[in-house]
Amino acid sequence: MRVKKMLAAGLAVTMTASVALSGCSSSSDSADTTTAAGGTTTDSGDAAASEDGIEKPEKITIMVDGTVTTKANDRDAFEARWEELTGIDLEIIQPDHDAYMDVVGQTFASGPENWPDAMILSSSYYTGYAEEGALWDMTDAWENSELKASGRVTGEDVIENMKIDGRLYGFPVTRGNGCITYVKKAWLDNVGMEAPTNYEEYIAMLDAFTNGDPDGNGVNGDTYGVSAAGIIGTEAPYVNYLPEFYQDAYPSFVQGEDGVWYDGFTQDNFKDALTRLRDAYAAGYIDKETLTNGTNDCRNKFYEDKYGVFTYWAGTWNTNLKTNLEANGRDGELIPLEPIAEVGTYIERTPPVWAITAACENPEGVFKYLIESMLDGGDMQTLWSYGVEDVHWSTKAETVLDQSYDEGVFHFEESLEKPGTAYTKQHIDPMLAIASWDGDPGKDAIAEEAANSQQIFNDNCRQAQIVPSTEVMATYNGDLTTLKNSIIADVVVQGVSIDEAFARFESEGGAEWSQMIVDSLNESAN
Amino acid sequence: MSNKGKAPAANAAGGNKRPLLVSLYYYRGFYIMFIPVLIFAIVFHYLPMVGIRYAFCSYKGIKDPVFIGLQNFQKMFSMPGFWSAFSNTIVISVVKLLLNTFMAVALSLMLNELRYLKFKKVAQTIVYLPHFMSWVVTASVFTLILSPTNEGLVNAILMKLGIIDEGIYFLGSQDWWRPMYYVINVWKDTGWGTIIFMATLSGINPELYEAASMDGAGRWNRMRYITLPALSNTIMTVLILNLAKIMNLFESVFVLQNDAVIKQSDVLQTYIYTQTFNSGALPDYGYTTAVGLASSIVGCILVLVCNRASYKIRGRGIV
Repeated sequence: MRVKKMLAAGLAVTMTASVALSGCSSSSDSADTTTAAGGTTTDSGDAAASEDGIEKPEKITIMVDGTVTTKANDRDAFEARWEELTGIDLEIIQPDHDAYMDVVGQTFASGPENWPDAMILSSSYYTGYAEEGALWDMTDAWENSELKASGRVTGEDVIENMKIDGRLYGFPVTRGNGCITYVKKAWLDNVGMEAPTNYEEYIAMLDAFTNGDPDGNGVNGDTYGVSAAGIIGTEAPYVNYLPEFYQDAYPSFVQGEDGVWYDGFTQDNFKDALTRLRDAYAAGYIDKETLTNGTNDCRNKFYEDKYGVFTYWAGTWNTNLKTNLEANGRDGELIPLEPIAEVGTYIERTPPVWAITAACENPEGVFKYLIESMLDGGDMQTLWSYGVEDVHWSTKAETVLDQSYDEGVFHFEESLEKPGTAYTKQHIDPMLAIASWDGDPGKDAIAEEAANSQQIFNDNCRQAQIVPSTEVMATYNGDLTTLKNSIIADVVVQGVSIDEAFARFESEGGAEWSQMIVDSLNESAN
Repeated sequence: MSNKGKAPAANAAGGNKRPLLVSLYYYRGFYIMFIPVLIFAIVFHYLPMVGIRYAFCSYKGIKDPVFIGLQNFQKMFSMPGFWSAFSNTIVISVVKLLLNTFMAVALSLMLNELRYLKFKKVAQTIVYLPHFMSWVVTASVFTLILSPTNEGLVNAILMKLGIIDEGIYFLGSQDWWRPMYYVINVWKDTGWGTIIFMATLSGINPELYEAASMDGAGRWNRMRYITLPALSNTIMTVLILNLAKIMNLFESVFVLQNDAVIKQSDVLQTYIYTQTFNSGALPDYGYTTAVGLASSIVGCILVLVCNRASYKIRGRGIV
């Protein structure tokens, strides 16, 4: 018994000591402390200063997701080439792609001494980390950069959109891209229709796809119009999988042209959108399994000719959809629709950004030699866009995956990670890069349909707004989003009336939380 | 051990009067073996509890946590989402526990009655298998089986039999989601649950059955008067041990829930997940820790209550 008591006492002492030593008021790992950051060395006598007075770092540590060349795809070759081009030692920390944001969160929580110099951040977390003071303000670096002065930047609007209170904390090297509506041309031909240009024509097309015989198998009504992975998306811009139904409605917070924030969910146009969705779902135009679909389910159903209209990513995905349809013995020709009149423009997703952490010792150097150089219109942009020559792409005369190429013709190599497929790009999608690139060695390798859908999207899109993070939002938006999504599903799938649904929104606190968040956004805007 | 059979005289004479150091020295072999376990328990089970302090702080993972007293708990108790998740956790877990235990006992009794040993082994293996499928795969399989279209096996059969005219969206229906969730759980875990009951059944003295047969007892009576009483202690232990885990419901719900059934399916762990990743802002780990702590306290209370119940029913506790 005494032994038990001693052990219990020992444990209690250990725990108490641990709590006391690492209590809430601990300041040993404060973000405000600018201790040496993950390996950046700038004060060495060897460090060279460029003409603009920016010191060249000796080493840069970056944390990246799976969009950068992975270990399985010979990241070592990528790293070696990058170091060869810059003369800087590059350390890449690349967690598993699916767990990337978890690892980023853990890294930030572990203290500035463990922060890398730069990292890729999704838009969902970018504002939060910026407002917590974890990111370096790169506004001046961008304004004074050679890249800006070069006049090659075509996506200044994308950069502007990433500013928080006029300051830039993360740099988007590409556009965010977005979803465009694809229609199977063979189905349109079979039902004798043209590509729709307004909602009335769109619904007529869905009706023909649902009740007619668009796949030509002799059976009416064994197909349906459109499918999506959820009635509402899980991240901004939320409405991008069913834009024709949402039109100008938006379920989250929007800043009006007058600068005032409001909650789009509470507007009348959102009620109209819900009515359109409910009617189309009840009529069978929308896949009955939309609620439980994942994007993979939608793609497979599309390839199996179960439905004919699919709103999905513009660009490379057009080629992927076409290839897979043909592999399934279907007609692969797709018509990427210009937005119907009521939609006006597609919404472009807020792009991921390259951010420099507040712990970086030489942020100007990292901006210049890491971020800015990605769009140099030369070797470095080639590296970030296509990878390493003769590893990921080549111009040698050779046969890759049964396709023969002459000497000097740019082509992709077979994927190391997925044998049997060829690479299509590396970190930067050339079609989405925010700077023009005359010397792009691979521009002729881009499939025509991919370039076409990307062009239609780029010509007909608007940027999704980034929403600042506020304390009130952090407190209530989780519950609010759950309630909104539940109400949307109630109306569309369960057929609940709009009045009933919005009465629930009031009674369960949604209206109050929404107003509190709107107030906090307007307060921080002022 | 080398000390076997050399218990100190003090122990024989008066039990607890042996000095501590003598006792420690005498059982040193056991304590040395226990050290790795103790270290493991401290490092991986007790030290992480230091994180409990965040429940009383506002903390977003960048700046230092700010002590805010009980504000996180005040917010938690004022949120309808929390109470809905709390009641769902209790209801879903308890029903699942009772159903799974009942089905596992029933299946064990049936397997125990099988006389052809090879068939019995094959049957046991087959019913264990679903347990080894990940919940993600299980959810995908049942999403297909329960699809509201003609391709959903269940709906296709029901329509063929003329029971329904239009497919039921089982996983998207507020009335059907929970029953389907229980069915899927029974399918996945009943087989695994039989292991412990089968072990108990194999330990029952066959002479009892022989004696009962000679006294004229049929199969039913043998099961009623011998098998079930022999199983009762195990059933109680399994129930009580599993009750301690009922607040940990996450994966099975997470992969099967959707927006239409959030009111019926949201449990505390999925609520914490939503609060952490769906707020559209950096999560406040303080609040989610507070919810987690509340969940742990309830779990702890349940264990103590069950332990008390065990004392009352069986005359001894389980912890």
